[in-house]
Amino acid sequence: MKTLLQWLQRRRARETEWRDEIESHLALRADWHRAGGLPAEEAERAARRRFGGKLTALEAVRAVHISPWVEALLQDVRLALRGFRRSPAVALVSIATMAIGIGASTAVFSVVDPLLFRRLPYPHDSQLVSLGYLGPVDDNEFNVVSSYLDWRRQQTAFQAITSMRPASACDLMAGDTPRRLSCYYVEANFLRTFGSVPAAGRDFTAEDDEPHAPTVALISYALWQSAYGGNARILGQTIVLDEERVRVVGVLPGDFQMPQLGDADILIPERLNTALPRDANSSSFLRTFARLRDGVTIAQARDSLWPLFQDGLAKDVPPQLRSEVRLVVRSLRDRQIHDVKAASWMLFGSVLALLLVACANVANLLLARAAARRRELAMRAAIGAGRGRLIRQTLTESLVLGFGGGVAGCATAWLLLKMFVRLAPNGLLRLNQARIDVRVLLFTLAASLAAATLFGMAPALERPRAEFLAGWHTAGPARTLFRKVLISAQIAISLVLLTGASLLLRSLWKLENQALGYQPARVVTASFTLRERRFGTAQARAAFFAELERRLSNLPGVTSFALSDSIPPRGSMGRPYSNILIAGHPPVAENGGMVEFRWVTPRYFETMGIAILAGRDFTNEDRALADSPVILSSTLARRMFGDESPIGQRICLEADDHWQQIVGVAADVKNNGLTAPADPEYYRLRINASTQFSRDGVALFRTSAFSAASAASLTQFIRREFAALDSSLPVTIETMETRVDRFRDRPRFLAFLVTLFAALGLVLAAVGLYGVLSFLVAQQTRQIGVRMALGARPRDIALQVQKHAGVWTVAGMAAGLGGSLVLTTVVRGLLFEISPADPLSFAVAVAVLVAVAALAAWLPSYRAARVDPVIALRHD
Amino acid sequence: MKRADHLQGALELLLLKTLERGPNHGFGIALHVETVTDGLLRVEEGSLYPALHRLEREKLIAGAWRITGSGRKARFYSLTARGTKRLEEAESDWNALSKGVKRLLRFA
Repeated sequence: MKTLLQWLQRRRARETEWRDEIESHLALRADWHRAGGLPAEEAERAARRRFGGKLTALEAVRAVHISPWVEALLQDVRLALRGFRRSPAVALVSIATMAIGIGASTAVFSVVDPLLFRRLPYPHDSQLVSLGYLGPVDDNEFNVVSSYLDWRRQQTAFQAITSMRPASACDLMAGDTPRRLSCYYVEANFLRTFGSVPAAGRDFTAEDDEPHAPTVALISYALWQSAYGGNARILGQTIVLDEERVRVVGVLPGDFQMPQLGDADILIPERLNTALPRDANSSSFLRTFARLRDGVTIAQARDSLWPLFQDGLAKDVPPQLRSEVRLVVRSLRDRQIHDVKAASWMLFGSVLALLLVACANVANLLLARAAARRRELAMRAAIGAGRGRLIRQTLTESLVLGFGGGVAGCATAWLLLKMFVRLAPNGLLRLNQARIDVRVLLFTLAASLAAATLFGMAPALERPRAEFLAGWHTAGPARTLFRKVLISAQIAISLVLLTGASLLLRSLWKLENQALGYQPARVVTASFTLRERRFGTAQARAAFFAELERRLSNLPGVTSFALSDSIPPRGSMGRPYSNILIAGHPPVAENGGMVEFRWVTPRYFETMGIAILAGRDFTNEDRALADSPVILSSTLARRMFGDESPIGQRICLEADDHWQQIVGVAADVKNNGLTAPADPEYYRLRINASTQFSRDGVALFRTSAFSAASAASLTQFIRREFAALDSSLPVTIETMETRVDRFRDRPRFLAFLVTLFAALGLVLAAVGLYGVLSFLVAQQTRQIGVRMALGARPRDIALQVQKHAGVWTVAGMAAGLGGSLVLTTVVRGLLFEISPADPLSFAVAVAVLVAVAALAAWLPSYRAARVDPVIALRHD
Repeated sequence: MKRADHLQGALELLLLKTLERGPNHGFGIALHVETVTDGLLRVEEGSLYPALHRLEREKLIAGAWRITGSGRKARFYSLTARGTKRLEEAESDWNALSKGVKRLLRFA
């Protein structure tokens, strides 16, 4: 870019110099005339007359300096552009096709490349693994402290093994106001295991990680910059975190990434206590990561860990759950892209398919153009153009076309990426870091130029023959066959894309329209987490909740208010089903998976719109009871009692000798995300004497009429009440619908993109089909004319053209159905409540394709049927 | 040395020969040719500069801006070593050609 600018500047300077030289000549000649006695004006005129055309001279000088090949190139480009202007359709469609192909594939590949192929930002990243127990509680593997301590001591497969706690919210005092941050408790060797070193200060030491060591912290680079202006004086200083004094010892590197991709503001030593009794450590959860020894594979590491896993299972996992817990050792990349892997491959596959369709289209268009130009080339050869000149000319045309497509493709890629970033749900595909990958762009550009050159050159490479001049010869049979195969391939790929899109759309439709078991409309939620320090005791929490309930229960415009510790579509951590005891019944079956539970106030069911199917709702009178009554979800009731009535039965939920009475059965709700089947669930009333409240809370408000204005004022009221209780407590207020909708963002985004690609692919295939048929009709005009003159009816002619289209389409669709079966294996994990072989989706895809193909074939066949034999035979 | 166009060759010869006397600008060259040949030869001024630039590109002459005796800025050209060599060749070529043409005219 810079050299180009310099070149332009130099060029302009030289132009001025040439001009100056000619002016100087004129001045000298005028001087000479004046010296000879002419008046000044006359002298200048004479000088100009003697010199002749200034511009012609300048042009001649310029010509001296332009090298001949540049001149020829410019001429070729001008010629090519003139050619495109004469028949703009082919050029425009080719450029648009390339733009779509290059743009979409560059944008998507830029997004999925870091996920699927790029190295992780750690040295020797392939040695890093995530390991632990995988149970029904969590999608990802976890560990418990007691097992981890054994593994850490006895493992042999890893050069380093490290652990961290799940993220926890923490409040940093910045001046007088707390700032909510994300804190992680990690082992001292955490950074070292990932091969990172602090950007400033020091790493944690073994002493920092002792159980009762004073708290120290590593702060993130971003926090260092935003809160402390990047000043190194913060090192060694004390900050106040959750009302505790913490010394900052170092700053994380700017590019540091948590292994599970969380946002970390502050790292603190986790200070595991090996001296605690085993059962205390076995209910304390961790994530564990490790670095393999050189030359050790993941499978070998897993084998060597197996005895330790068995041992830990026996010691730390409740017997009822053992058969449901597995050992997982997997690469860090697999852990990171866990939930986007299928989506990434799906996107990658569909954009590759689109690229193939685009390539086939360009090839087809250029081949058609080439065939049409044979006559022109033969003519030019006949009047003396050398073969080299013809080849150069077609090459230039192809390159101009490829270049145009490339530039348009870059612009498309940029636009598409912008669109992805706007539309993509938070966290999906790590799009906040997405940018156009220059290597990918260069590759696609090179590919497009190569393709354009290859197919564009076809006519020039064959020796021009005199027969072509007659215009009799259509393209040779071999090349038409190749083009028909291209069309069929396009149809096939389009069908695969369409099937994928219709599967995803059907799945999305089911997802959007499924019964949730509750009525999210007109419900506003306010969620919060109390601070550990101030609300560490059950009494403090109970007092807070009681006061909060009193303040929130009579807000204007609210018909029903309730308090819970969590709400669907997610549940709590859940408890093993097998913990439950029923008075007067044999023990429940083992391996029953997890049961969700919530602590709710009496009007929870009314506020959420959950139906009570049997028995009764909680009442305010119940809250005075010594033990909380229970309402079961209908699935749980059926599982525990079968046909027997659960109402009035007494159960013990947590093996703690507290026996509670079942008062009702509520309808099932979607409590495990939107796609997974609902878990069984029970509800416990928040009685006055309760000591079991967690620090999490959600206030629920069902409103009578909902508008933007009423929502804004309700938000104001809610905030004011919370602020009156604890001004520094962060509260998230949003509608229930927004919360539920977040679970649909990802499938919606993916379905949108795949549908977009399928539509583009379909349009390209239609253009291809249309182009080839039109070309055939144009080539056979004379033949058609003869047939019509001999008595063929227009309908026969149209049918003949349509038959061509039909044969290629059917061939393509047969191949496409085969391809779609392969697709179903990729798409399986992305579908909700429909089978990958869903006949309706396939039928829709086929129908759409047939309709579009018919449309594309109709116009050329109509034109063929309208051929006037008289004009056709006079042709040429 | 192959020359497709002897007229162009002649112009080149005139320019080089003029510059053999010392550096000069385009107008000076044109004036010199006219005066020395008593107006028999007249340099076409429009093609003078393309020719000078061509010679300069071939590094037979070198150009630089200077001030003329009358105080005007002008681009002065001087002969390079390569130019001197080329002039010798061109002179002998020309002599051979003109000798040939003269004989032909005499015996025709």
